[in-house]
Amino acid sequence: MTGNERETISTGKAPWKSPIAVSVVLHLSIAVVALAGWSWFEPMQEPEPNSISARLISPEPEPSPVINEQEQARDQEQQKAEVERKQAEAERKQQEEQARQEEAERQAQEEARKREEERKRQEAQAREQAEQKAREEAARKKAEAEAKERERQRLEEEQRRQEEAKRKAEEEKRKAEEEKRRQEEAERKRREEEARKEAERKRLEAERRLREEQLQALADESRQEQEAEQRRQREAAAARAREAQMLSESQKYQSLIRERLTQAWYPPSSATEDMTARLQIALLPTGELASVKLVNSSGNTAFDNSALGAVRALNRYPVPENRDTFERYFRQFTIEFNPQRLR
Amino acid sequence: MRLMILMTQTQVHKQFVLRPLMLVSLALFMLAAGNARAELLIRITEGVDSAIPIAVVPFAESGTMPQGDKISGIIRSDLTMSGEFNPLAPGKMLSLPSSRSDVYFRDWRMLGQRYLLVGELTRKGERLEARYELFDINREARILGETTTAPVSSARSLAHHISDKIYEAITGEPGAFSTKLAYVTVMGQGDNIRYRLQVSDVDGKRAKVRLESDEPILSPAWSPDGKKLAYVSFETNKPVIFVHELATGERQKLADFRGLNSAPAWSPDGKSLLMTLSRDGNAEVYKMNLATEELTRLTNHWAIDTEGAWDHAGRGIFFTSDRSGGPQIYHMERPGAEARRITFGSRYNARPRPDPEGDYVYYVHQRDSAFLIARTNLKTGEESIVSRTESDESPSLSPNGRLLIYATERDGTSVLTVVSTEGGAAYSLPAAEGEVRDPAWGPIVR
Repeated sequence: MTGNERETISTGKAPWKSPIAVSVVLHLSIAVVALAGWSWFEPMQEPEPNSISARLISPEPEPSPVINEQEQARDQEQQKAEVERKQAEAERKQQEEQARQEEAERQAQEEARKREEERKRQEAQAREQAEQKAREEAARKKAEAEAKERERQRLEEEQRRQEEAKRKAEEEKRKAEEEKRRQEEAERKRREEEARKEAERKRLEAERRLREEQLQALADESRQEQEAEQRRQREAAAARAREAQMLSESQKYQSLIRERLTQAWYPPSSATEDMTARLQIALLPTGELASVKLVNSSGNTAFDNSALGAVRALNRYPVPENRDTFERYFRQFTIEFNPQRLR
Repeated sequence: MRLMILMTQTQVHKQFVLRPLMLVSLALFMLAAGNARAELLIRITEGVDSAIPIAVVPFAESGTMPQGDKISGIIRSDLTMSGEFNPLAPGKMLSLPSSRSDVYFRDWRMLGQRYLLVGELTRKGERLEARYELFDINREARILGETTTAPVSSARSLAHHISDKIYEAITGEPGAFSTKLAYVTVMGQGDNIRYRLQVSDVDGKRAKVRLESDEPILSPAWSPDGKKLAYVSFETNKPVIFVHELATGERQKLADFRGLNSAPAWSPDGKSLLMTLSRDGNAEVYKMNLATEELTRLTNHWAIDTEGAWDHAGRGIFFTSDRSGGPQIYHMERPGAEARRITFGSRYNARPRPDPEGDYVYYVHQRDSAFLIARTNLKTGEESIVSRTESDESPSLSPNGRLLIYATERDGTSVLTVVSTEGGAAYSLPAAEGEVRDPAWGPIVR
């Protein structure tokens, strides 16, 4: 589209001064005068409805006989004379009717002839009017078509303008979107770069930390080895101390057990100093006797039995509360019965 | 915890290397621990001095029982007499079971008992049947069970038999409750004096007079089989040695030599008799072969040698001699060997009685004005006093050597007293009247 096109449209804004407009006005005036003349002839066409009413009266006598018959049937006996009179009346009336009908028929024919003339005149007039009207109509239609054409052109122009504006707006929008996308892309790239840099930084940090940890681990290892060695030495010392303590504790309980058994043992009178019975006994941590086994007989049944009886006579052996000492010394041990102070 | 995890992480590789070494050291440690355990040995070198608690439950009885003491009572008395047992009074018993099914060992343990005897007596015609069981309460074990019978008239023998079995089962040595005692009683005075040789149970019961005389009867001695007694009788107004067969009452005048015939003592085999004779001038110890009546002179000394007794081995003899100036005990290892003096403790030691195990010799020992029974340990020479009274004489040992019987006086009454050779319980058998002397403890008769 160009600026010249727009210029042409703007100069066509005064149609009423053109020859087309003068013609249109003239035609319209003629049409108004014609219409007024036509409308003044309308009331003079009155006679037309008369022929219609005359046609409606003629069939009326037909239903009468039906009514007369019904009445006659009702009054037959009383009114016989009346019937004869009425027949005479009827014949007279029929003659009158016939005359009247002949007159009416004549009048109707006259009427029809007049109506035919009038109709032909009116038809010619109507044709003249129709032609006039068609001419006016054609002029009007032509004017309308011209107006429509102009309107269409205007609308088209308007549409083109709008489309142009819309296209321009869309172009603007597209450009704006393009710009936005470009900016977003730039932002994304920037962020990606940042993320990459962050990841790199973290990786370096992790590597650094790993190195430090490895160094730390090496340091820890040697430190732990030293500590472990120290701990081993401490534990060995503690074990020796514990051992000594357990031994002294066990000796205390050994002498308690010896005392209790000495009080429980009835050496038989056959016992001699060279008799020795060895019993292996197993205790529970509660001090109860779990089992006893003669592992070395004295050779004297009574002596062996006295030893077994003594060992079983103790309800509960005095044992250390310390479980280690118990396990080490008193879970299982040997008791030797060997009298030394006989006779 | 955390530290440990770290350690295992850092030392995993080392542990794999160390593992075999650790196993070895662990094994060594366990070995050491095992040795240490084996080293724990508790040695018991002495026991209780007091008597063993034993519960003798009254026997259940069926049928008519003979009059007199109950079997269980006699057994309790026997065991008490031995000095080695302390029977529980029946009144303290919580139950009176007569067979194992009724025995609740816990109850008896609670009562502090070591052994439990239950049983029942059944009369079967003229015999008594005893069924009994002995339990070791601590071991909850039956250590003896028997059914035995005896004539109704010998109920006491049945009881002593059971006592013997109990004693042997517990002490390992034969009981001596069925053995007999021989002793002499003296009654009356002046012309009415009566000497009686009697034989009784060891508890003094069932005493029977075997010989009665106006003249003294001395030194009864049991033959090893328990069937004969040898003794010295003055019935012929001089000392003569007789051998008396108890079953038949038959008597044999065995030694009636000139001078002194005294102190008969049987050899362990029963084939010869030791005796003191002065037929050769001075009192010496001779051995007479009983089969041939052949005499062998065992001592030859200018001093008095008397009261010979075979040692436990039956090879040598102990005897009393005053060759040192006063009576002392000597031992001759075999006939003809040089005599070894055993006693030195005082001026008077006489009537040696060796124990059956060869450890000691017992004798009458004067200390100051008192006469006591003492013994000397033959290995150590150590002398100790056994009796507790002051005018003791005629010691005699029970067959197992555990008890010693001797004649003494208690509160002015003549009695036979029994003491444990290890000290402990003692009991006395008082004479019914008069005086009782020269007790001799009979052998165990199988």
